[in-house]
Amino acid sequence: MIVQQIVQKALQKAQAVQAVMLTQETSAVDFENDRLKSAESSQRTQIDVKVIVDGKVGTSSTTDPQDLEGVVNRALEAAEFGSPAHFELPDAQALEPVKIFDPSLLPLEKPEMIRMGQQMMDMVKTYNPEILAGASINKTVYKVEYANSRGAEYSADHTEFNVGTGGQLVRGTDILFAGHGVGQKKRAVDTEEIAAQAIEYFRMAEQIAPIESGEMPVIFTPRGLIALLLSLGLAVDGKSVYLGASPLRDKLGQQIASPSLTILDDPFIEYGPRTSAFDNEGVARKITPLIENGVLRNFIYDLDTAGRAGVKPTGHGSTRNLTNLVINPGNIPYETMIRNTSKGLLVHEFLGLGQGNPINGEFSVNLFLGYKIDNGKLVGRVKDVMLAGNAFEALKDITAISKEREWVSGPWAWFAGLIPYIQVGKLSVTAK
Amino acid sequence: MRDRLTEALKMQDVEYADIRLEDKTNTWVNFRGPDLDMIGSARTVGGIVRALYKGGWGYATFNDLVDLPKRVREACETAKLVGTENSYFAPTEPVVDVVSAKLVKDFRQVPLAEKKALAEEYNQVILGHHKSIQTSSVRYADSFKQIWFASSEGTYIEEEVPDVNLMTAATAREGDIVQNGYQTCGGPDGYQNVEGFYEKARSAAQKAVELLAAPPVTGGKYTVITDPLLTGVFTHEAFGHLSESDFIYQNPRMQEIMQLGKRFGVQGLNIIDDGSLPGGLGTHQYDYEGVPTRKNYLIKDGILVGRLHSRETAAKMGETVTGNSRAVHFQHPPIVRMTNTYLDQGKAAFEDMIKDIKLGVYAIKAFGGETAMEMFTFSAAYGYMIRNGEVAELVRDVVLTGNVFETLKNIDQIGNDLAWEPSGPGGCGKNDQQPLRVGLGGPHIRIQNCVVGGSQ
Repeated sequence: MIVQQIVQKALQKAQAVQAVMLTQETSAVDFENDRLKSAESSQRTQIDVKVIVDGKVGTSSTTDPQDLEGVVNRALEAAEFGSPAHFELPDAQALEPVKIFDPSLLPLEKPEMIRMGQQMMDMVKTYNPEILAGASINKTVYKVEYANSRGAEYSADHTEFNVGTGGQLVRGTDILFAGHGVGQKKRAVDTEEIAAQAIEYFRMAEQIAPIESGEMPVIFTPRGLIALLLSLGLAVDGKSVYLGASPLRDKLGQQIASPSLTILDDPFIEYGPRTSAFDNEGVARKITPLIENGVLRNFIYDLDTAGRAGVKPTGHGSTRNLTNLVINPGNIPYETMIRNTSKGLLVHEFLGLGQGNPINGEFSVNLFLGYKIDNGKLVGRVKDVMLAGNAFEALKDITAISKEREWVSGPWAWFAGLIPYIQVGKLSVTAK
Repeated sequence: MRDRLTEALKMQDVEYADIRLEDKTNTWVNFRGPDLDMIGSARTVGGIVRALYKGGWGYATFNDLVDLPKRVREACETAKLVGTENSYFAPTEPVVDVVSAKLVKDFRQVPLAEKKALAEEYNQVILGHHKSIQTSSVRYADSFKQIWFASSEGTYIEEEVPDVNLMTAATAREGDIVQNGYQTCGGPDGYQNVEGFYEKARSAAQKAVELLAAPPVTGGKYTVITDPLLTGVFTHEAFGHLSESDFIYQNPRMQEIMQLGKRFGVQGLNIIDDGSLPGGLGTHQYDYEGVPTRKNYLIKDGILVGRLHSRETAAKMGETVTGNSRAVHFQHPPIVRMTNTYLDQGKAAFEDMIKDIKLGVYAIKAFGGETAMEMFTFSAAYGYMIRNGEVAELVRDVVLTGNVFETLKNIDQIGNDLAWEPSGPGGCGKNDQQPLRVGLGGPHIRIQNCVVGGSQ
């Protein structure tokens, strides 16, 4: 394997070394404005090298498997000026068996992908011919290989399948975008259900409902929950905690959210969009509870930050990315949540999320897709409305969690997870 | 290389095909807090073949350059799965040219140790500025890219694309309040662009500290003055993207909204995209289809007069090519993009714009901006209240939002002080293609009845 060759080569000068290699083939078809627009084949190779020389770290990467000498030399050069290593590379560990490869995806060819996209678009057009529809289908097969100088060697074959449809509806100067997609590591996907969900977002938006400014209860759809999860994700990042920038830095073991809230990071879900057994630092992945019954349980650490902070790495890679987020369901049916709301909002997508100071929890976002609830009924889409609040205050103010959960994943998702509908007691709504 | 590409293109059996190859080496030095966070370099080699057949596009992207004819065949076969209608592709004169980089101080000759030392000095300036400074982030990055482009029509262009940039950011904390300040610099023409940045780095730290004591702005409708940097972001994000014809050409309703000749603003409103502007961040001699770049008026004297095109969108709309087909790198085909976009300066002096505002907001720089066609949301880095014609107290969490058409009409004063946003990391994003280098410019402008988000 190339990764072992790199390790051997670099060990001539380095005391420790790791190499990660990605090889990937993707097929994709793309529909735009009611038509098949393009199709694509892509081949990718990426080799990342990290060395420790005299206690200092250097990294480099290349896309050229012929250039092993070059990539090793650049890593060694960087190590001369590198930061002190606060870690040792991990020993070989026993890995959890995971389901990440579906052989039935291999024979899937572009003509069939085109047929699937066409079928979803046809459904959207049948609902409303005025919608300019689009679809995107993407199949990826990739291999990740890891080796380090302590003898850890892993290899994993992955498949990935992303399917989505949506469109835009222009009425006067009003433009509405809506869509739905699924991303997973297996082939079995219900295109009719995806199209039906996309249509449902359009259907709920048929009427435009005026709304007045004020404070009101807000229900976050599974996808809409990103408005709160974004801040939480940044604040549980071990690096921000170590540097003192996280508002949660001294809150481990404390009640930071409603007792009804339990969030796990679970890298082992069968064919989950972010499932895998080891990270890009050779650390075995494991389930990490983030919040249990409202109590903050863990931060996310890579090798180096864990070394600096004197804790264990959590297996989220050098960039500390969350895997599949799983939020425990509540006991109220979604329909009842809506019915119990006399005046409020159901929020799904935002504009301007992540601007400003998201680690603080403060958000002030434009509602890109949000719906008004009036007397227990969804009465239409709201326009020119801003939603403002603090994500951490909102997590304490959770008033209901739905029984139902939905996967958030796919081509247009910010994160991956199995998420219920969550109602927050009161948030500030500014209407134009 | 020209022979290799020409040879590979002989495999094409479609209406049009091109190949773009890239070889890029980049270097980075990142400090976060007191520690060196990352230092390293990478080399990225790869290419893309595009094939056009009966209106359908086939693409093949790859890192492995060994068998180029195979990639050409792959793209052509894929295009044939897609194409069923007529192709539209505006004609251009084939070009053969070599565009070399012009560097004042070549960053490739600067030792990594020196780049690290420079970043470390800026980092020390921030960390040592004030006791409230909690942490810092300093990111140095450079890249040098060689591009080879050849088309089945005989165009062949070699181009060198250098880039160097720096970001210095400070995070200040007081209790549960955390605030940020940042300053960026850089440019395509060399290492000198990131030298001598100590005072700016200090000002980033100072702003973060000052913001700790600043109250959040009270949400509501105000007369707003935006500074040149925020004007540039607004012009690019809120209006510029609507001028990209790939949003318009297959969409009759959008065509209606963006009808040439329609009035969009006051007489003095001029918005321009110019890929040929000397020294601009979005400047290229040719776009990624080999079309020469040029100065394109989008709004002239308040009237919509133009839009941005690729060869395909120009043909579909029966308009001329503008040189706006760009790709972020070889893993993507080029799409319609802006280059250097600016709201041109007018005649108003800042003092005259502000003097009759009783209660308003002066919004400065941008933390970010996002749009969905007509709707936009921008976070200013910070702002000041305007009270009785004067700049008053500092405020934070200034978020501007609205409908772009209404907002353009509500611009009633245009300043005489056009300025361009300095380079930095990042750039424009569209269809997963990010970050693309673009120039953003504008003067101070005054907007009536602008919604500022925040607590009630």
